[in-house]
Amino acid sequence: MRLFGIETEYGITRDDIPEMDPVVESMELVRAYLEASFERRWDYAGEDPHEDARGFRVSGLQQDREEDEFAKVDAHRPFSFHDMKSDLVLPNGARFYNDHTHPEYSTPECRTIRDLLAQDRAGERIVLRAAQRRNQTLGGGHIRLYKNNTDFHGHSYGCHDNYLVSRAVPFPALVAGLVPFLVSRQIIAGAGKVGTEAQEFGHVPGRYQLSQRADFMEAELGVDTMHNRPIFNTRDEPHADRRKYRRLHLIIGDANMCEYATALKVGTTRLVLNLIERGVAPDVELDQPVTAVKQLSRDPDLKAVVRLKNGRRLSALELQECYCEAARRELAGSDEESEWLLNEWSDTLRLLSQDRSQLVGKLDWVTKQWLLETFMREERIGWDDPWLASLDLEYHNVNPEQGLYLGLEADGKVWRMTTDEAIDEALRNGPSDTRGGLRGLCVQRFPDQIKSIQWERIQFAGGLRTHDFDMGDLFNPQEVRRCMDVFQYAHSPADALATWNHRKDMET
Amino acid sequence: MTHSMMPERREGPVDPMPKSPHPLEEGGGPRRPETGSPDKDSLMKRMRKVDPKQAERYRQRTGE
Repeated sequence: MRLFGIETEYGITRDDIPEMDPVVESMELVRAYLEASFERRWDYAGEDPHEDARGFRVSGLQQDREEDEFAKVDAHRPFSFHDMKSDLVLPNGARFYNDHTHPEYSTPECRTIRDLLAQDRAGERIVLRAAQRRNQTLGGGHIRLYKNNTDFHGHSYGCHDNYLVSRAVPFPALVAGLVPFLVSRQIIAGAGKVGTEAQEFGHVPGRYQLSQRADFMEAELGVDTMHNRPIFNTRDEPHADRRKYRRLHLIIGDANMCEYATALKVGTTRLVLNLIERGVAPDVELDQPVTAVKQLSRDPDLKAVVRLKNGRRLSALELQECYCEAARRELAGSDEESEWLLNEWSDTLRLLSQDRSQLVGKLDWVTKQWLLETFMREERIGWDDPWLASLDLEYHNVNPEQGLYLGLEADGKVWRMTTDEAIDEALRNGPSDTRGGLRGLCVQRFPDQIKSIQWERIQFAGGLRTHDFDMGDLFNPQEVRRCMDVFQYAHSPADALATWNHRKDMET
Repeated sequence: MTHSMMPERREGPVDPMPKSPHPLEEGGGPRRPETGSPDKDSLMKRMRKVDPKQAERYRQRTGE
């Protein structure tokens, strides 16, 4: 079973001042979650977004002209890079920080969909709690946070799903196997959006589409993430032993409110990666994938067909059915979670073509469309009414007293796959079978001895020398559990590392 | 870490569908969720409270 995780950049707004400074507000929001003062600990040594999986390194990343101007201003702010980022590592092993003026919550690495859902929902509560504390300081409910991907003015921010993949899988096979799947995945995982938009011309109100991000996809492949965004991001930043692993960093996805949609988004992608690793992914190649991703998003009737390189034409449903059938042939019976995913994937595709109303509360784009169309009938307004974009935005508000999705959830009208108890546990601890849980345990047990920390390494201070704990190849769940036992009961990080290294030496 | 500020949310659906006898109910994968038929009234009230100009005012900087 592979590891996966989700990074979510939240939208943030403050309504008591004419012009909010997003750098300051994101910083302050993240720090509001702290009970003590901020200390710089995140180690950026493992991060280099310029490395391209196609085998080269780019000299710079693209951003639009507007962002270029903002960057010039940011360079003269009275904060250091680390102050601006305000990286926190939480007791559940998650990272919470300010990424490009958005509070970002990155789940700890998870091995099961159930853990991932609980950790993703824990992220919503963490940002909400930070907002509540910040609002206490400001003296009113001025800060609002949105788990979405657009500001309806041509600015997008991401929700990235990440997967640990063996480097033995040829990179071209990953691209060939995944691109048609990702282009069509939006019929399951799209969060829905009112109108169309682009970085160049802003928002055009009007027709409803499946995805928040499709409008912003401008390339098939590429290392960029803020401009000229690709369907398949080629960033080669494994956060693991580079000789053995890749981290597949998918930026095409929407931020989902529906737990069921998150489960299928990540779960079906995991199944397709299994097909690619076995060399049995469907042999389909889109003629124009960038055009196709927009075309399919802008067709909520799911009637549009896209052209393949061999001249055939398939709808998004047919593309997904190709993948679902291949997965059923190859992966049926492999494990309980895969079996559940195969059944739900195929049921969802059937319901999308036969009775979409049964997917209200399960898929975001269907749920949002149902809400908006009901409202339009009640208020006698059309798709071009600007109220609808505001309602679209409020669907994603993470405040349970305001958010439209969370209102549905409070009424018991959406499919829950987590419980509040599971989310509370996810706030306290990371998964017990991944290095994410181990990272969280180190934060809980030895917070004052951590000198620096990142995804694959923790450096502990102690005496005259530092002690490095390398997790770049710590993925076997039994090994993780044994290591957690050591760190749980050790008197100090140095003792834990000595015991752990001794055990590993004895085993080899 | 305390969570006293976390609002309570109702867990159970008002009008649940019968639970699936799927083995994952007790197993290691996700549980099959429950749902009820959508009821629009309370949501319509909440939707009418949304400022029609909220999206027009909402501005973000480009993220990733």
